[in-house]
Amino acid sequence: MVLTGRVQIHSRRLFLGVVAAGSTALAGCGLFGDDSEPEPQPDPLQPVLDEALALAAAYDRVILATPNLAARLTPLADDHRAHAAELTRLIGAAVASAAPSASAPPAATDTTATLRKAEQTAQKTAIAACTAAPRERAMLVGSIAACRATHAEALR
Amino acid sequence: MTEQLAAALAAEEAAIYAYGVLGVHLSADDEVSRARAAEQEHRTRRDLLVAKLAEIRASTAPAPAAYALPFAVTDRDGALKLAVHVEDGVAQAWRVLLPVTEAAERTDALSHLTDSAIRATRWRRLAEVTPLTMAFPGRPVS
Repeated sequence: MVLTGRVQIHSRRLFLGVVAAGSTALAGCGLFGDDSEPEPQPDPLQPVLDEALALAAAYDRVILATPNLAARLTPLADDHRAHAAELTRLIGAAVASAAPSASAPPAATDTTATLRKAEQTAQKTAIAACTAAPRERAMLVGSIAACRATHAEALR
Repeated sequence: MTEQLAAALAAEEAAIYAYGVLGVHLSADDEVSRARAAEQEHRTRRDLLVAKLAEIRASTAPAPAAYALPFAVTDRDGALKLAVHVEDGVAQAWRVLLPVTEAAERTDALSHLTDSAIRATRWRRLAEVTPLTMAFPGRPVS
């Protein structure tokens, strides 16, 4: 996973650069005319951020549909928002769009049971991201993985 | 990594001591068995750490015979509070191993961090402490 994103882009650029320099005779033939930049790869932590936002929104929907769960669920939703804030700061500009709007009508399928299942799935994503992360990111992503596990426990 | 392993060992030894102290203040069957299971888990991890440190030929300070408790433990409330306290401490110790490990070793450290965070959540529920969770388990609370 360390070898994704920037490294790939860099090597592609390097490759194009070498070819271009060694083939001035081909200039103008159009072969290398389309030298557009490759799309930047999403940050490897983008899926973890997307899940944090989606989970926060899912909690909001359940709270909206079942207000007497608010006291129990609000702190968990806040944890996800804290994760999203730190991940956004770390990743930089790209803010995810995946999160459904909290103002959407409550989905009939959202319950504490589906939240629990979503937490377990999200925990697995975070474990994989932690294992693959460079050392300077390992503690943050590890804490997020552990937090998602505690949420699944708190929803029992 | 030796320094972080030694810190994890110290945290596990402190947890074993703490469960010995707090166990006597619990009486409900499920709480007693939970505390026993937790203590056993910390012993297993302690043994793994001792073996690991021996493997890399690192010497560590012997565990102290007794510890100063962060607060007096005289009843169930104090016992549950101490259980939360030590699990949070153990989680912190495993978290600092994440940046100095890779692959399976990192996954193991994360698994121990997670176990302690879950256990802390269960003790909080029994102690009726809210919130049950923290956003960043293992991160020292400033």
